[in-house]
Amino acid sequence: MNLSQIWAIVKKDVVSELRTKEMVVSMFLFVMLAMVIFNYAFGAEKNDLTPYAGGLLWTAFLFMSMLGLNRSFVHEKDEGCLDGLLLSPVDRSTILLGKMLGNLIFLIIVQVLAVPVFAVFFIEVNFLGRLGQFILSILLSDIGISAVGTLLATISINSKMRDMLLPIIFLPVSIPLVIAAVISTSGALAGAGSPDELQQISSAMKFLVAYDIIFLLVAYALYDFVVGE
Amino acid sequence: MKAIYLLYSLPIFVIAGLVVYFPTARRWVADFFTTRKLGVAGFALLMVGLYLAFFVAPEPVVGEGKKIFSQKIFYYHVPVAETSLIGFILGAVFGGLFLVKRERRYDFLSYASVEVGFLFGLLVEWTGVIWTRSEWGTWWEWEPRLTTYLILMLMYAGYFVLRSAMAEESSRARFAAVYSIIAAVSVPLTFFSIRLIPSVHPIVFTSSGAQMEPPMLAAFLISMFGMAIFSLALIRAHYSIQLMGEEVEYLKDRLGG
Repeated sequence: MNLSQIWAIVKKDVVSELRTKEMVVSMFLFVMLAMVIFNYAFGAEKNDLTPYAGGLLWTAFLFMSMLGLNRSFVHEKDEGCLDGLLLSPVDRSTILLGKMLGNLIFLIIVQVLAVPVFAVFFIEVNFLGRLGQFILSILLSDIGISAVGTLLATISINSKMRDMLLPIIFLPVSIPLVIAAVISTSGALAGAGSPDELQQISSAMKFLVAYDIIFLLVAYALYDFVVGE
Repeated sequence: MKAIYLLYSLPIFVIAGLVVYFPTARRWVADFFTTRKLGVAGFALLMVGLYLAFFVAPEPVVGEGKKIFSQKIFYYHVPVAETSLIGFILGAVFGGLFLVKRERRYDFLSYASVEVGFLFGLLVEWTGVIWTRSEWGTWWEWEPRLTTYLILMLMYAGYFVLRSAMAEESSRARFAAVYSIIAAVSVPLTFFSIRLIPSVHPIVFTSSGAQMEPPMLAAFLISMFGMAIFSLALIRAHYSIQLMGEEVEYLKDRLGG
């Protein structure tokens, strides 16, 4: 494993994204559209949705992340780029980390664009004092999503069903992550009322760290078997 | 009680470990514990357990002498749940062995274990729903244990979709093995994450060892062993069906060529 090799793979993804701009734009539009739908689904004009904001945020982000994960591998597969990567003299784990970091960067870019809009639309309390906690909980969840997602997207892209398979295998595996992410993000947005809630939020954050570490290790150990033979 | 589950599941893991690591032991175990023997033994134990559960074990009493008959499902529901977890763990173990050794029989075994685990998981959901209905009067409650199993069932349903979505047999075995490991890692995470949310319902199955009277414990343990042995018979039967299928394919090829 070599940092410059990882960086080369990340750079390739970023450059191709800068030229086409299709992934970030479509992911951002997806989140915007989801927000409009939330407004009508939950009557946000008359209800205060702040207590449910974490859930809404992660519903949008989870489905948005699948869009990006699929896209990042459809390119690789269709244009034979994955074969090229496999032929190049780098470790399989380097490919995993490169792709993972690429997916993580795109997720973060879309979130940086989407969260302010989301806050204006749905959040009715001032959460700037808890901004650090909010950012931390989103980042921890993003790491988990990109680790599991990169691993499973590589599997799904090699199947006959291609991108149809990803939601079926990715969503159930990421449910624990989503539960913890919703608790910690909601806590950061709405603020903890009681010591019990504070306790719950901190254990959710610890859970996110544990999930990230476990699935980074699992992905690292299994990626050899997933890409090419 | 958790410790007791672990203690009594241990022989199964020990047997599985022996079977896997020592070829002689593997052959001996495979020859001695035939599918039929295991199936008959498991079925007999289950019947004994059922008899003990209904005719010997007393009904637990809560409050002012109110007996709970619906507790009887405990002797069935919990063994089924434990067995399905054993199936999932065995699926991951055999999946890992497949990835290391690349022998097709491990793929067959992994598939058989996951499928039996899934079948038992469906039974967990079913018996859980029956119990919820009789105890709380609703068909579905977002109760932590049932919810956990619902998520696990969805996750392992993905395993079968994944298998059927792979075109080549070699990549099917490889990806299925990888996914069986990911899913098994996700099982404890799911259990734990569900418990991050405080449950509205009290834990009704107070299953601490001290609160089980000896006849109840006997009925429970016998059902538990019976279920585990029966599931091993199912896994073996599934495995030999796959071996036969492979042989049929081979013979067809020879006849055709």
